[in-house]
Amino acid sequence: MSSRAERDSRPALRPAGAGMTELRVDRIACTGHGVCASVLPHHFELDEWGYPIVTDPAVPAADGTTAIRLCPARALYRT
Amino acid sequence: MNELLWYTSRATGTASIVLLTGVVILGATISGRGARSRDGATIVTALHRWLSLGMTVFLLLHVATAVVETYVSIDLVSAVFPFTSGYEPLWVGLGTLAFDLFVAVMVTSMLRQRISDRGWRFVHWAAYLMWPLAILHGFILGTADEPLLRLTTVACAVAGGAAIVWRSGVTHHDTDRRRHVAAQEWS
Amino acid sequence: MTLASLLRDAGLTGRGGAAFPTAVKLEAALGHRARLIVNCCDGEIGAAKDGWVVEHHLDELVSGARLLSPRRPATIRYAAHRGSPTAVRLHGAGLDVLEVPARYVSSEESSLISIAQGGLARPMTKRAPPFVAGGRDSAGRRIRPTVVLNAETVWRVLQLVEWGADWFRSYGTAAEPGPRLVSVNSPTARGVVLETEAGARMSELLSAVGGLPADAEAVLIGGLGGSFVPADAVPSLAWSTADLARLGAGIGPGVIELIEPRECPIALVDRFLAYAAGESAGQCGPCMFGVPALAAEWHRFAECPSAPLLHDISRRSGLLPGRGACRFPDGVARFVASATWVYRDHLEGHLAGYCLDPGRRPADVLTR
Repeated sequence: MSSRAERDSRPALRPAGAGMTELRVDRIACTGHGVCASVLPHHFELDEWGYPIVTDPAVPAADGTTAIRLCPARALYRT
Repeated sequence: MNELLWYTSRATGTASIVLLTGVVILGATISGRGARSRDGATIVTALHRWLSLGMTVFLLLHVATAVVETYVSIDLVSAVFPFTSGYEPLWVGLGTLAFDLFVAVMVTSMLRQRISDRGWRFVHWAAYLMWPLAILHGFILGTADEPLLRLTTVACAVAGGAAIVWRSGVTHHDTDRRRHVAAQEWS
Repeated sequence: MTLASLLRDAGLTGRGGAAFPTAVKLEAALGHRARLIVNCCDGEIGAAKDGWVVEHHLDELVSGARLLSPRRPATIRYAAHRGSPTAVRLHGAGLDVLEVPARYVSSEESSLISIAQGGLARPMTKRAPPFVAGGRDSAGRRIRPTVVLNAETVWRVLQLVEWGADWFRSYGTAAEPGPRLVSVNSPTARGVVLETEAGARMSELLSAVGGLPADAEAVLIGGLGGSFVPADAVPSLAWSTADLARLGAGIGPGVIELIEPRECPIALVDRFLAYAAGESAGQCGPCMFGVPALAAEWHRFAECPSAPLLHDISRRSGLLPGRGACRFPDGVARFVASATWVYRDHLEGHLAGYCLDPGRRPADVLTR
C-alpha cells in the first residue's frame, strides 16, 4: 500500500501517447519467466538466460496491465 | 430438497477438489519453471488465475449447501471457524481451515499489486497446507459409499502429490545463482 | 539564508560519483526527516579520498554532518568497510559506524541504506520516489527515509558554512564549481590524494605520482566503473566533465590510475573482469550471469584470440547497461568498451598471433 508521501511525490504519468503507459522491470524481482515478452513481443525480448531486454518501454495501457498482472514475479511496474 | 442439497454439496465438493488440484499443479508448474517457454509460462499463469476464480463458485456452493441442508449439523459459524461444527467437527474443521486459507490466498492475490511481496508470498505458501487439508477432508467425509468419488479424490491426491514432489526437487539457474551468491559475505 | 540555499548558491554537487545537487538532496532529507549516512567507504578501485577526509578532517566532517542532520544528530552513521583503517579511525572517534563488508557494490548508496536497516549490503531497486522519502525494497520490506552523502561532500558543506559560496566558487568552473579531491595511483604510488578543481590539467595531477612516462599507453579514470583514456590525449586533457566526456570518461568518484605500460593490457583487463565476475550482488539476471559470462569470454580471448570472440565480447557488454538494479553492470560495460577502443592495437596484435607487451619477445606466438 503506497503511503501518502509516495503517492504525492510520484512523478505524473506521461504516457507516450493516448492509451499508452511506460513499463519498467524490477530487475531484482525478475526471475526470467518471460511472460512480458510473450504478452508484449514488440516491447520485450529475452536474453540467453530468459531475462527481458526492454526494446520499447511505451506499451498500450491494456496490454501493460495484463503483463503486470500475469508476471509471476510481480517484476513489472508503471513509472 | 434436503437430499438434493446434500448431493449438491458432495458434487460441488468433488468438483472443488478436482479444480483445486488443477490450480495447485498449475501453480507448482509456474514456480518450478515447468512451462519451458515464454508462451507456456503465460498460458499456465493465466490458467492458474482463471481456474482459481472459477473454482470459487463451486467451493462457495459446496459450503452454502452444506450449511443450509439439515441432514447434518454444520452452521454458518463452523463454515468459517474450524472444528466448531456439530457434525464430524475434526474432518469438517479441516475443510473449514482449508477454506479459510483459500480465502486468504485469493484475497492477497487479488490485492497483490498493493501489498508487500513478502506478505503475498507467505500467504501463498500456505496453499501447500490448504490442499492436503482439502484432500483429507474430502476423502474422509465425502467418499465413504461412493467408490467413484473416492477414486477421484485419490487420483487428485496422487496427481497433486506428484506435482509437489517434482516441485520440491526441481532446479533452475536463476534460483541456483541467487542462492550461491547470497551465501557469500554480504553483511 | 538556509543551509540548502547556501549549497544551492555554491553549486555543490555530490562528490561520490553521481554529482547530484546536494541542496536538492538536503531539502528532500529535511522534508522527510531522513536519517543521514555519511559514506566514507572509498568503494571504487584505487579510491582513497573518503578515508583521507576521515584521517585529516574528521572534526569538520562530523560538524558538517550535524549541520546536515540538525534534528536527529543521534541517528547519523558513518559507513566504512569492515576492518579498514577508516573504520578503525571512526570507531576511535566514538562515532556510530556502519560497517559494511569489503564487497565492491556494498558501498553503493542503496546498499548502505539496506544494511543500515538490518538487510544485506546489496543494492535495492530504485523506484520513484528515491529512498530519501522512504519506500519499499523489491520484497516489500519498508525502508525508512534515509539519505546518503559522500564524506567529501559533507566536509565541503562545513567548509562552505565557514567560508561562503564565493570562496567555493573561486575554485573550479562555472559548470563545476568548488574544490575537489582526487585519488591518483600509479604502479609505484597508491592512494595519493590531491586537492584540485574542475579544469585542472591532468598532467599536473599525474605529476604527483611522477608524471606520465614516455611509454605510457593509457590512464584509467574511474576505476572498474570508469574508462581508459589514451595516454597521448592526456597532455591536452583537463579534469572536467566536458573534456573527459569527449573521450568517453567522466569525473566519477575522482579516481585516476596510471596503467603500468609493461603489462599486457589484455591480462590486466582479464584480472579486473575476474574480480568483477565475483562481485555481482547476484540479484539481477543480466548481471549475475552477464558479467561472469563477459569475464569468461575475455579470458578465453586472452588464451585463444579470435575475431568472433572479440565481436561477441562487444555484444555481451552491450547487454549490460540499464539491465540491473544498480550501475555496476553499466560500469563494467563502460570499462570493457573503453579497453577495446584504447587497446585495439594490442587486441589486433593478439589476433595476429603476437603480444605487444614489451616484456615479451616479438617472435612469441600465442597458442591457438
